[in-house]
Amino acid sequence: MNLFKSELRRILRRRLTLIFGIVMVVGVFAVATVYGFSSSTGPSEDDLAQAQAQADEMNAEFDECVADEEFFDSPEWEWAQEDPSFEGMSQEDRCDMFIGSYDYTAEDFLWTYTFVFAEESLLVLVGIAIVAGLVLMLLSSSAIGAEWSSGGMSNLLVWHPNRMRVWGVKLGAACVVCGAAVLALLALAFGLLYLVAATRGEIGTLDSVWWGDALETLGRTVVLTVGMTVLGASLAMLGRHTAIAGGVIAGYLVVGDMLVGIAGMALKMPFPDRLSLYTWVMAWIEGRMELYDQTSESIDSMPDVMVITATDAGLLLGGIILGFALLATWAFQRRDVT
Amino acid sequence: MPPIIEISGLRKTYSRAFRQPHHALDGLDLEVAAGQVHGFLGPNGSGKTTTLRALLGLIRVDGGTMKVFGEEVPHRLPQVVSRIGAVVESPQFFKHFSGRLTLQLLAESAGVSKSRVEEVLEQVGLIEAAKASVKGYSLGMRQRLAVAQALLKQPQLLILDEPANGLDPAGIHHMRELLQWLAHSQGVTVVVSSHLLSEVQQLCDSMTIVSRGRRIVDGKVADIIAGHSSASLSVRFPDAASLPEAVEALTGAESGLTAVVDRGRLVVAGAPEPAWVTKTLADAGIYLSELRTETKNLESVFLELTGTAPVPGRTVQIGQSVEVPPPAAQGGVAVDVEVEEGVQR
Ligand SMILES: Nc1ncnc2c1ncn2[C@@H]1O[C@H](COP(=O)(O)OP(=O)(O)OP(=O)(O)O)[C@@H](O)[C@H]1O
Ligand SMILES: [Mg+2]
Repeated sequence: MNLFKSELRRILRRRLTLIFGIVMVVGVFAVATVYGFSSSTGPSEDDLAQAQAQADEMNAEFDECVADEEFFDSPEWEWAQEDPSFEGMSQEDRCDMFIGSYDYTAEDFLWTYTFVFAEESLLVLVGIAIVAGLVLMLLSSSAIGAEWSSGGMSNLLVWHPNRMRVWGVKLGAACVVCGAAVLALLALAFGLLYLVAATRGEIGTLDSVWWGDALETLGRTVVLTVGMTVLGASLAMLGRHTAIAGGVIAGYLVVGDMLVGIAGMALKMPFPDRLSLYTWVMAWIEGRMELYDQTSESIDSMPDVMVITATDAGLLLGGIILGFALLATWAFQRRDVT
Repeated sequence: MPPIIEISGLRKTYSRAFRQPHHALDGLDLEVAAGQVHGFLGPNGSGKTTTLRALLGLIRVDGGTMKVFGEEVPHRLPQVVSRIGAVVESPQFFKHFSGRLTLQLLAESAGVSKSRVEEVLEQVGLIEAAKASVKGYSLGMRQRLAVAQALLKQPQLLILDEPANGLDPAGIHHMRELLQWLAHSQGVTVVVSSHLLSEVQQLCDSMTIVSRGRRIVDGKVADIIAGHSSASLSVRFPDAASLPEAVEALTGAESGLTAVVDRGRLVVAGAPEPAWVTKTLADAGIYLSELRTETKNLESVFLELTGTAPVPGRTVQIGQSVEVPPPAAQGGVAVDVEVEEGVQR
């Protein structure tokens, strides 16, 4: 327990933790601010009057066009006359085609966006959690990588020779920090978005169905971020350097995933999407994912469907993470620390 | 009392790509008795650090047994580690933490009280610098921090790998006093590996000399020096002209004796005792102006034993030096036995 507390403190006292913490909080505020500025419940009196004026002008022009047979003779409409269909049309059709048939209303000239909390907040929250998860993965791998590269690990092992305990405690501390940070960020983001919706948008109906769905999705996302933390820490443990862990993760997400995808396509494998890690991550978060087989030979048969449930995705992702964690454990147990 | 540290037949082999495997430790033995300052001496690459790392469970070994406080290590290390304070070669710390925080985290992790941190900072003279981050520490300050860390849990066994490394003269002096105080009035057993032979001579009660991963000799520092110093006499005369006469007089009187003229003095080896020399010379009508007994210091014993004594025009290569010693010690094993007997006497 003492060791756990000191490891928690070790993570929290790092400068990188402070920097990342500030960046994440500022990021959440920035997202909320963007929504706050772009959302509005309705146009102001001025905007409405201006839009109405614009609509009136357009409608007037249409009326003018219908009334005046020579409307299109002026040089500015030359381009309309060159249209092959122009000759055969009645004046009204011409006006309809080249000016617009509508009875324009003010709405046609107003672009208002209303942030509806019940409909949009979940996606934003999941996005925030995933970005936070990536940041925390970096943080946890740095906590372990820096300990190796600074030589602090051998000091610690001289005090605590039970390596399994040290590794378990370090991993536990990283997970606790990660879980707590993501939950705190989600709470902050939830509060801010709710505030934005209440003041400059709509809240919508937050019934028990919404809550059930939201909690399930967010819960799975939080589990995913903790898994990412474990992965980051394991890779740092294996590579004994932060940069190695960061490089492997970034390298796979950017290049590796693409290469695997290309290989899958080259092999004409059905459902090439299932080779992408992103597919499985999406399936895990959304709870269900359907892949369609476009490579299907026969034209009239419906494309085959492959369904990935959250359980499938959880097993696969969990397996990958567990695999790396076990590998790290094994390597740490046997390794000469110098 | 049983020894605090007992190591026997320790082996560690590093396999190297495309080359012969390298035996860093080749059946090393080490015994350290309680309440002593024990010096662990050997040339570069002889396996001192490797031994200490193995003892602390940082590296795996390929053979041999180790016991600390009578407990098998590394297997039972968790049970005894709270009584061991250690510094391994050139200690490194997380650079952005202050010295104090570094110690506090360790203290907290093992349930050592916070006030102890201040005590050890005081003991190693780091109080002033405790707030600064380790990044800005000099080599000597890092070394002090490392020693502070080793002292933190009030260990009964203190293992220090080259503690004098990077310390200034005042620091070395202070360290020596501290270690001797710990050993002699606090009953702490101290193991110190060092390159500074004079340092070991001044600091340690007993010592073990290793070379190429093997023990060459161990015992009390004084015994080892005495056992290997074929004490010679340096004799001077008022008149250099009497030198050849004196050589004649002495070699004529005793058969096993050698007398060599060296830089205006006579170096006599194998004489029964100084009084005999004075008498023999006086009988021959030669009067001396100075007679001194010359004992070898640890340095020459060390160089002899480890075979790293310089040969003119050749640099001693690490690990290649040893073809264990000439006449002074009749082969490594023999010396080992001889000195162990010496200790029992
Ligand atoms: N990680 C390693 N890989 C390969 N060889 C190693 C490793 N660590 C040590 N050695 C070898 O083991 C031998 C003993 O090294 P060690 O560090 O124990 O020497 P030492 O007695 O502490 O030397 P010094 O007095 O210079 O500190 C050396 O020959 C070294 O080359
Ligand atoms: Mg060394």
